[in-house]
Amino acid sequence: MAGSDLYTGTLDVLILKALTWGPMHGYGVGKWIRDTTREALQVQEGALYPALHRLERRGLLEDEWGVSETGREAKYYKLTSAGRKQLQAEVLRWTRYTLAVSAALNASPA
Amino acid sequence: MKRAFHLSTGRRGITRDVERELAFHIEMRTRELVALGRSQADARREAVAVFGDMTAVRAECLTEQGHRTRKRARTEFMHTLWQDVRFTARTLRRAPAFTIASLLTLALGIGATTAIFSVIDGVLLRPLPYAYGDRLVHVAQPANAGGIPDVGFSPTEVMDYESQTRSFDALAEYHTMAFTLLGRDDPLRVQTGVVSAGFFDVLGVKALLGRTFRPGEDQPAAAPVIVLSYEFWQRALGGDPNIVGKTFTMNDRVHTVIGVLPFLPQDPDHNDIYMPVSSCPFRISAHVVGSRTARMVTLLGRLKPGATLTQATADVSNVAARLHREFPDAYRANDRLGIAAAMYRDEITRGARPTLLVLLATAAFVLLIACANVANLTLARELRREREMALRAVLGAGRRRIARQLVTESTLLAVVGGALGLAVAWGLLGVLKSFTALFTPRAAEIGMDGRVLAFAFAVSALTGICLGLVPAITSRRDLASGLKEDGNASTLGGARMRLRGALISAQVSIAFMLLVGAGLMLRSFVNLERVDPGFDPANVLTARLDLDWVKYRTGPLIRNFEEALVDRMSARPGVTAVAVSNASPMNEGQPNNAPFRIDGRPLDAGQTAPTLDVRIGSTDYFRLLGIALVSGRTFAATDRDTLNEPVVVNQTAARRYWGAANPIGARLTFDDGKHWVTVVGIVGDVSQYGPAQPEMPALYAPFTLSTTSDMRILVRTRGEPAFVSRDLHAIVHDLDPAQPVTEVQTLAKLRGDAVATPRITMLLIGAFAVVALVITAAGLAGVIAFTVSRRTREIGIRIALGAQPGGVRGMVLRQGLRLVAVGLVIGAVAALFLTRLLSRFLFHVDATDPITFLGVAALFCGIAALACLVPARRATRVDPMIALRDA
Repeated sequence: MAGSDLYTGTLDVLILKALTWGPMHGYGVGKWIRDTTREALQVQEGALYPALHRLERRGLLEDEWGVSETGREAKYYKLTSAGRKQLQAEVLRWTRYTLAVSAALNASPA
Repeated sequence: MKRAFHLSTGRRGITRDVERELAFHIEMRTRELVALGRSQADARREAVAVFGDMTAVRAECLTEQGHRTRKRARTEFMHTLWQDVRFTARTLRRAPAFTIASLLTLALGIGATTAIFSVIDGVLLRPLPYAYGDRLVHVAQPANAGGIPDVGFSPTEVMDYESQTRSFDALAEYHTMAFTLLGRDDPLRVQTGVVSAGFFDVLGVKALLGRTFRPGEDQPAAAPVIVLSYEFWQRALGGDPNIVGKTFTMNDRVHTVIGVLPFLPQDPDHNDIYMPVSSCPFRISAHVVGSRTARMVTLLGRLKPGATLTQATADVSNVAARLHREFPDAYRANDRLGIAAAMYRDEITRGARPTLLVLLATAAFVLLIACANVANLTLARELRREREMALRAVLGAGRRRIARQLVTESTLLAVVGGALGLAVAWGLLGVLKSFTALFTPRAAEIGMDGRVLAFAFAVSALTGICLGLVPAITSRRDLASGLKEDGNASTLGGARMRLRGALISAQVSIAFMLLVGAGLMLRSFVNLERVDPGFDPANVLTARLDLDWVKYRTGPLIRNFEEALVDRMSARPGVTAVAVSNASPMNEGQPNNAPFRIDGRPLDAGQTAPTLDVRIGSTDYFRLLGIALVSGRTFAATDRDTLNEPVVVNQTAARRYWGAANPIGARLTFDDGKHWVTVVGIVGDVSQYGPAQPEMPALYAPFTLSTTSDMRILVRTRGEPAFVSRDLHAIVHDLDPAQPVTEVQTLAKLRGDAVATPRITMLLIGAFAVVALVITAAGLAGVIAFTVSRRTREIGIRIALGAQPGGVRGMVLRQGLRLVAVGLVIGAVAALFLTRLLSRFLFHVDATDPITFLGVAALFCGIAALACLVPARRATRVDPMIALRDA
């Protein structure tokens, strides 16, 4: 059910990136993704939660219940050190990938 | 491990958290949309719409959370386990005496059990290492008149069974002969399996190098080919990798090596090479091929998939019945030929099974005693640690946590003990392997592999858990009294002391059974050794001369060789007598029971013919062996070529067939009156087939009557007989350089070998029993010492009140011996039932032999008294002042 426009694994990277700003609840993560990508990436909002829980099981995130800005109890996620390392690796991979694809697309006939 | 303050565990907690998280999202999103100007209701509807499939998301989240919780539980379990293990290791290091005693005891128990299990696994449990091992059937043709389990089949019969049975995929024949192989520096005498071309396909054996026989290679026109056994290839040919295609000359024909077999247990015999039946001059000779009664081969069959042994038995019985009707001459009623089928796998381990099971039971008993002992040590330690445990309980350790700690402790002990036990098993394995090789060719398969390791580990773990539960079950519920100053008087202590007493009694009863078993085996062995063999085995050398019968075709040719050998050997210094025979006493081998008739005593129709075990002896045979002449005479050099050949019978034959009458002068025939022999003397009985075998009615025929080419030479010497073996080799080499001399042994050694099996069985059971006794005695001493130390104050008071040292010692001794007495009574009753299982191993000893029972009981009481004496003496030295002040 993950958004079909997303490359596989992209949502995971975006979640990790979102959390570099500090602990955030699921809604906050979703909003950050919507805002920063200017809603260019169409994603069903619900798909976020299984991804969060999966990252948590893999030890990349930790959760903690806290009080939200609206005064409600909310589940906050934060990056673990493993999550931080994973993000670095993913960013590197992603940069290499886009550079390679752009180079190929920009090449002019010899 | 860091935990969130809001730790949700359990299915309900997880569900609630997921619900709350998702509800929070919808709520926030609605709020966002309202801020954009939507109505509350519209905003909520849109928030749900952009969320997507709520049910699926919820389910997926729950699954993820479930995985995570389980992972966390596992981590936590491992964490506490590790904590327990480290804690246990520390406490055990602080109690080195307890730890070492427990480890040694467990190592012995687990080691013995593991070693025996590895033997049983290799020999009895594993499938045969042939692809069709579980479908192989051995078909036998027993001669019930002579009590012979299998007379074999004639090639004609093999063909009948091949064509008329329905439950087999294929049948194959086998026999073995010795041939001389030329083509290397020295002539090699090779034991040769002679088989049908399909033999290896029936077994499901593929060649390691080259190939095995192809269909048709057992036909007369086929080119001569041979397959080498792995051992022969390694031993005699140095594992030559280019052996396939090389040639050897055998029986005046050139044979090509076509393959080498993998390393396999070979049965019935250990062969050097294999050849198809067409290459065996004996097997294809006219009188074998044309005769239904030339029974000489073993018959093996591979069951069709799904066919059962019962079907196969019915099948071969039908064929046998048909053949008996059709060819009454070949199946004479007097011989009472039968037919039988058995799984090959059971057949080749038949001899080993009972002994191995007895040994397994013995080892298991040792393990039980070891467990009881360690349980006892643990209980003693628990009694001392009562206060520690109570304190831990008060400080918040749950009852289950403490129980778990105890189980961890005993499991750690058992696993380390098991690891040491593997070393013990490893040490025992060599002995056990050579021992098992006495019974079955499968001994080569015995080893310590993954299965054996798994067994040892399982036994250790189980032992540990059971041991840990004993104190856990009796552990106190009432914390307060454990903390009180004087824990000694607690009722729990009493219950535990009773349990310890019961454990000692149990150990005594098991150890008693083992000792009785060992004692019976010992008495049986002494009886075997005391059997008068009827001959003098000292200073006699024997050797086998299996003449190449292709060269020595006729009686005179054989006799010329043997006589020349006897003459030249007799002339050697130190030699006092030389004789040849077809078999020396104490040799492995089967009686050669031949049916005969006495002149003047016609057989009634349907009456079973009497049989005699026919033995060949040259002139000096009786004098050389020191066999007693009872009456008449033995052979003389002048006997040769007379018409009525003189023969000698043994006392058993004289008694059985002539009773009070005198057999001397009686005429016997073995071929229905074509030839006659005359009895000229009676000689004493000998242990021909081993001391445990009753002597059978036997006839000694002079060497001049014999046409067999497989002979034994016996040489009596003045000094050590082994010294003349060089002379023997030299003379044989001189007479015929191609003639090997094999199985060179002294008769004394053969006599020793004949009782090797009971001797080693006795030694093994004896060793186990001694280990059991030592463990039990140590356990008893420990318990008594512990009681004495707990009763120091009481003993001090008694001494202060005037008790004499003798009285105190007696009190302690009585307490110990009471436990022993209870154990002995139980053990004796159990032994009365259990030793019956040993009956088949016992020779001239009753399984309930009272001397053994009483002797072992006396020994036990003696050892027990010694074990109690040390702590009893300590009790008498209690200083009442110190005891009363300190306790």
